[in-house]
Amino acid sequence: MPKIRVVVDEDLCIGAASCVTIAPETFQMNEENKAWVLDHGTEPDGHTYERWMEVTDDEKENIILAAQSCPTLAVFIFDEGGTQIFPEM
Amino acid sequence: MRYVIIGGGVAGTTAAGELRKLDSSAEITLISEEQHPLYSRVLLPHYLLGKVERDRVFLKKETWYAEQEIEWLRGEMVTVVNPRNKFVGLLSGREIEYDKLLITTGGHPRVIDEDLRGVSYFRTLDDADHMNQLFLGRGSNARGGIYGGGFIACEYLNLFAHFKIPTTLAHRGAHFWTRVLEPVSGELIAKHLTDQGVEIHANAPLQGLEGDKELTGFVTSKGRHEASIFGVGIGVAPDLSWLAEAGIETGFGIKVNEYLETNIPDIYAAGDVAEYFDTILGRQLNIGNWTNAMSQGRVVAKTMVGERTAYEMVTSYAMNVLGLDMIFIGDTLKAVADQVCLIGSIETGGITQVHERDGRIVGGVCLGRNTDRGAITKGIKEKTPASEIINTLSG
Repeated sequence: MPKIRVVVDEDLCIGAASCVTIAPETFQMNEENKAWVLDHGTEPDGHTYERWMEVTDDEKENIILAAQSCPTLAVFIFDEGGTQIFPEM
Repeated sequence: MRYVIIGGGVAGTTAAGELRKLDSSAEITLISEEQHPLYSRVLLPHYLLGKVERDRVFLKKETWYAEQEIEWLRGEMVTVVNPRNKFVGLLSGREIEYDKLLITTGGHPRVIDEDLRGVSYFRTLDDADHMNQLFLGRGSNARGGIYGGGFIACEYLNLFAHFKIPTTLAHRGAHFWTRVLEPVSGELIAKHLTDQGVEIHANAPLQGLEGDKELTGFVTSKGRHEASIFGVGIGVAPDLSWLAEAGIETGFGIKVNEYLETNIPDIYAAGDVAEYFDTILGRQLNIGNWTNAMSQGRVVAKTMVGERTAYEMVTSYAMNVLGLDMIFIGDTLKAVADQVCLIGSIETGGITQVHERDGRIVGGVCLGRNTDRGAITKGIKEKTPASEIINTLSG
């Protein structure tokens, strides 16, 4: 399964929550109205704005869709080699 | 199949991209009034605040349209829709035939009667560039004025505060969002803004501008207020005048069902221009926000290629004004609620409104109470009795 790193830039996040709507297993809003990153609905090692996770190809597609839906492009996705997959550079 | 999309914002451009994915041989034409490739309106404040470079507001490159084999007509306007002969007419005179037509023309800001240098609106990238010029040009002596009591007024408040511009705000109503907020919620916002140094005048309709070519101030029923930059945010409404002859049913926006189909076969509408039937809320409504527009663009493309798909989402909009978080979820119009319950208080710095209709929760507003969002969103989606949500949030 592909391994990806998902990062939310808390400074850019405005709490639109479109990522939560599309990928609730990966994103949840916190008390500051910004999105924490989750690994399949769980938070090993507590709350965080960035996390490595193993995902299926379908899950990866959906997380990219969630990132694309963010109106401030606050969600960044990297592949195993550290290359930024989204937003495309 | 020949698809024509009128409107190059997020709903239309998303739909164009989805149509290409779903139908590789389709002919797709996207007609856009603006010259720019798709950009995020939501990123415009970030750009003006210096959080992102101007380049970063663009979501599509200019080359994307050709790569996707989407005919992109920019700087063009449609003046006529002819459903009988299935074509649209452009201002330039060209006529374009369609098999399926999607209208995603969005909303247009309401304007005031007068105009002077220094008056600003905030909808497009060009508006943002104009504002950038104003901030640079007016320098440290700038004095900010804002007219309006809604989201755009909040954007101006954040911008003026960032540039340390002293600000006077006036609005017609008794408080912000009078159709949505209870008086005490409005008071909480006004108190927060006043505490942050904003001079607020409620119940103060605009009577005119002052200045010769260059703005020097504005006049309301409460008096004369000095201003060298004046931000106007008095609402957004779709322009439907060009559709008058087409026979498409309209209200505040273009009326569509949950499949985003109009009353005319093969004509669809999505995004800020649509007044769609919301299956969760059980009524037709117009919602102007990014997530809604993008999601509707995705869904309508499916329906247009024959995979008829209903649009279903609990809509929400969030923003922060000078440190106060505000979240609007679902159906927040007071006029269509049977009852609005309040949790919290001005003293505690947070108020949540729970809007009830037919015994169930249909909407909510969280002011300084972000953690209430999850329960409200879930409650609306699952059609939970309002009393249950109120108990949960009060506990």
